[in-house]
Amino acid sequence: MLHIKPILVALKRHKAGTILIAMQIALTLAIVCNALFIIDQRLDRIARPTGLDESNLVIIRNRWVGVTDEATGPLIHGDVQALRQLPGVQDAISINSYPLAGGGWSTGVRVNVDDKKSKAHTTLYFSDEHMLPTMGARLIAGRNFTPDEVTDAKANAVDTPAVIIITKALAHDLFPDGSALGKSVYVSDTKKPSTIVGIVERMQVPWNSSWADAWAENAVFQPYVLMYSGNVLLIRTKPGQQDAVMKSAPEMLFKLNRMRVFPKENGVRTFANQRESIYKRDRGMAILMGVVCLVLLGITAAGIVGLTSFWVGQRRKQIGVRRALGATKRDILSYFLTENLLIGTVGVLIGALMAIGMNLWLVTQFEMARLSLAYVAIGVVALLLLGQGAVLAPAMRASRVQPVEATRSV
Amino acid sequence: MLKMTHLSKVYRTEVVETYALRDFNINVNEGEFVAVTGPSGSGKTTFLTIAGLLETFTGGQYHLDGVEVSNLNDNERSRIRNEKIGFIFQAFNLIPDLNVFDNVEVPLRYRGMKAPERKQRIMDALERVGLASRAKHYPAELSGGQQQRVAIARALAGSPRLLLADEPTGNLDTQMARGVMELLEEIHREGATIVMVTHDPELAARAQRNVHIIDGQVVDLAEDPRFHHAVHAARANSPA
Ligand SMILES: Nc1ncnc2c1ncn2[C@@H]1O[C@H](COP(=O)(O)OP(=O)(O)O)[C@@H](O)[C@H]1O
Ligand SMILES: [Mg+2]
Repeated sequence: MLHIKPILVALKRHKAGTILIAMQIALTLAIVCNALFIIDQRLDRIARPTGLDESNLVIIRNRWVGVTDEATGPLIHGDVQALRQLPGVQDAISINSYPLAGGGWSTGVRVNVDDKKSKAHTTLYFSDEHMLPTMGARLIAGRNFTPDEVTDAKANAVDTPAVIIITKALAHDLFPDGSALGKSVYVSDTKKPSTIVGIVERMQVPWNSSWADAWAENAVFQPYVLMYSGNVLLIRTKPGQQDAVMKSAPEMLFKLNRMRVFPKENGVRTFANQRESIYKRDRGMAILMGVVCLVLLGITAAGIVGLTSFWVGQRRKQIGVRRALGATKRDILSYFLTENLLIGTVGVLIGALMAIGMNLWLVTQFEMARLSLAYVAIGVVALLLLGQGAVLAPAMRASRVQPVEATRSV
Repeated sequence: MLKMTHLSKVYRTEVVETYALRDFNINVNEGEFVAVTGPSGSGKTTFLTIAGLLETFTGGQYHLDGVEVSNLNDNERSRIRNEKIGFIFQAFNLIPDLNVFDNVEVPLRYRGMKAPERKQRIMDALERVGLASRAKHYPAELSGGQQQRVAIARALAGSPRLLLADEPTGNLDTQMARGVMELLEEIHREGATIVMVTHDPELAARAQRNVHIIDGQVVDLAEDPRFHHAVHAARANSPA
């Protein structure tokens, strides 16, 4: 620290290189901070629990061919009954959608019949009393549907059920004081109340994109079996029976009725497959960002190594002179480390502002979350360390310049 | 002050071994002003770099201020260079990125001196060499003679007891050379020991003692009549 002033003074005579490296550090910091933030958000998103018991869960996307929606009712009941009889199957339902499906139903919920605005946004899951056990949802208050509460419903004219079950998150949005159980609410634009008879700990919406983030765990379960030609069959298998059921279930369903197709690519899959494919983009994005970070850090480190090596070569004589005048090897080493620290400090200060600016821009353009300052702090420390690491080899070389070099002409 | 006995320095390259110094003996007393002369390549610079602890030697002994220097480690050698020795090079060797003031400050910083004392010494040294008004100038803005005077100020600022100068006037014209020489003589009168390598017989003649090096060895001047004559001629002409 003793020598900051003369180092700064000398740097003024090497403006181009100094500014170049400082800007490179700044830009790297700005991008790396934001990239790490995005990576972390993606990873957080991927790690979110769905509320499903994800193991031993098989999904079949069923497409009835040549059957009108209204005519699917008995066929669907037949399918579900047969599936529940199938060896290896623990339970099965026909449902409109499920967490991470990618598409589903969403609507608003009002607390009072006259409310103009809904109190909360939610997704809707329709199935019978087997819905919670098949999904593996945990009921934390109230009760499940009874068989007599379940009715068939037309897909294009779903009515309002007398009873519903909701998630804890939705319950909290509707009744922050925790009094949801037993209360009546109005789902969509109906005037008919639905009574909350059960509360489920957690069930995610079908969407994994950020637009649903604010209500990612708001779900209403309704005791309807949708008569719909594009229904989903959700099968909970007995432990270890997943692969067997993946084969036997479609075969059996075809035997039961041939008027259907299971889409080739994703007709029959495990929930694990579904999770994998729905998060492919997020994972890909995280990996890409990670690679970009590494490349940028590598380029910056290489730039520092390159410039310092150049400077050391350029200043061999002056290093020799300094040694002749009494500088120790450590003095020379610390000269270059300090020089780098000074450039790095300017770089990270500018970079920190740029990182925040870049994030604000992303916030307005892409509805990104606000960058936590912890990322900036970590990035600042990381880049300063990177600089010191990169400068170490050339600085060591500089410290080994012999004092006798002072006497050698050029 | 400075005593070398049977000292040798060998430069080894892949093909040849060069004896830059062999069986080299010299004794410079405290307060002496010694001029070192000799043909090019005879080992004058090598002698000076070893004397100034810029370089190690191959054999023999070197006592500086009573200390056998081959036992010193790199840090100790740095400290002695910093505290006891002042260097003046033929090529001035100022640091181009630093102005005159900052150049003179370099050895003082390595000594860990406090800022007020540094400033005092720098201004004193610059006044000594008549360049106090150029403190903010960069070396490139000065003439050769001025640069060498800055280099002398830099060597002086730390109050070294031994001043080593390698052809300090080699890159200067006669008038500038004379100015530098006068400065060295003044410093000598104040008590410093000076060893100066020079090609200039006139300057050599102004020293108290002449040491002549040929082929890496100190030779008796009496054995080299040509130089003997040159020195005497110069002595006769010098105004002294
Ligand atoms: N670093 C070196 N490597 C090899 N040979 C050297 C080196 N430095 C000096 N020499 C050789 O040592 C001899 C003495 O050189 P030097 O002391 O520079 O002579 P002078 O200063 O009297 O001209 C010369 O032959 C020179 O070539
Ligand atoms: Mg020489």
